[in-house]
Amino acid sequence: MKSRIKKSEYYLPEKILTNQELEKIFPEWDAEKIEKKVGIRERHLVNENETALDLAFEASKKVLKNYDKNKIDFLLLCTQSTEYYLPSGACILQDKLGLRTNIGAFDYNLGCSGFIYGLAISKSFIKSGIANNVLLITASTYTKHIHPKDKSNKTMFGDGATATIIESSDQESILEFSLGTDGRGYKNLIILNGGLKNRYDVNAKEIDDGSGSIRTANNLFMNGPEIFNFTIEAVPIVINQCLAKNHTTLEEIDYVIFHQANKFIIEYLRKKIKIPKDKFYNYLLHTGNTVSATIPIALKDCVDNRIVKTGDRVLLVGYGVGYSWGATIIII
Amino acid sequence: MKTNKFLCELSETLELEEIELNVNTNLKDLEEYDSLSVLSIIAMIDEQLGKRLSGNDFNSITTIKSLMELIGMDSFE
Repeated sequence: MKSRIKKSEYYLPEKILTNQELEKIFPEWDAEKIEKKVGIRERHLVNENETALDLAFEASKKVLKNYDKNKIDFLLLCTQSTEYYLPSGACILQDKLGLRTNIGAFDYNLGCSGFIYGLAISKSFIKSGIANNVLLITASTYTKHIHPKDKSNKTMFGDGATATIIESSDQESILEFSLGTDGRGYKNLIILNGGLKNRYDVNAKEIDDGSGSIRTANNLFMNGPEIFNFTIEAVPIVINQCLAKNHTTLEEIDYVIFHQANKFIIEYLRKKIKIPKDKFYNYLLHTGNTVSATIPIALKDCVDNRIVKTGDRVLLVGYGVGYSWGATIIII
Repeated sequence: MKTNKFLCELSETLELEEIELNVNTNLKDLEEYDSLSVLSIIAMIDEQLGKRLSGNDFNSITTIKSLMELIGMDSFE
């Protein structure tokens, strides 16, 4: 059986953090400079009592509106902001959404590459007859792990969730994948404490990273320059591999959507790979980097605003924490 | 690359308007130098010189000369 993306929705928490508010917390930060450089004006943040599963629930309700939810026969939840160590958030969500009980459901732990992997899993489940209609959810609340005095990460990340329905179809609209993993970079984007190796430490020391950001080992740590180096290295290669696997070229691709890390990084990659500006998505003004949610948010924006139209071949590329990356081509 | 050209590129990268750079300028003393500048410098060096600097390298950088030494003096005339 072949597969296609039926529809996508997303949900952002109500609370907003603007660049002006950041400027008040960090007087040396310049609101306009942030927007110009990284393309972010504001980001949405969860409240203390709001979780990724809450966002996932809201996004799912939106996508299931006007859709027979009894058709859903697999639920995938991509998140790194889990409700509990166990059980899987996907199981809780199956019940909250009132989905059938004779369906499969599980979580998987990926960040910025997560949507691409979700499409790969969905496609292969449909192809093998395990499922017909998959509900793929990505949900991220990195901001819960960011230290209040961490200027760089507070600027970059926002919270959000997306829900996408992938259906079996007569025509294949999710083409071949190229995936990649390099665990050597695992320490460059990490929350060191709070798992079972290093327990959450209430006395964890505050460390100034020398560029005006303070955090402890309980918080999200990102080595920005190293992550940038990784993307410069991995993204051009995975795009070439994906194009080759699909026997196509960049010229034959109608539109390109990268994981929206920040404006500067994706614009640099665009120029390096020589993707024409009019075929390239670069927009995170009101969301910031929402990790596994950026690609489906972008996709919905492109469809809703007719930036892409039926029949267009769209290249999707995700890359980040792990390191983990992947690319595929979809037909709208 | 000529050292002067590198100084111009760097000045453009850091969006400096009034400050004149020389090899002894300490990058960390510049008001414009922040975590985003590091990404810009990495991009400029990748683009202009085809070299990749690691994130940790930047911790030890002080003057522009120390940046040039890290890139490798063979890249400069």
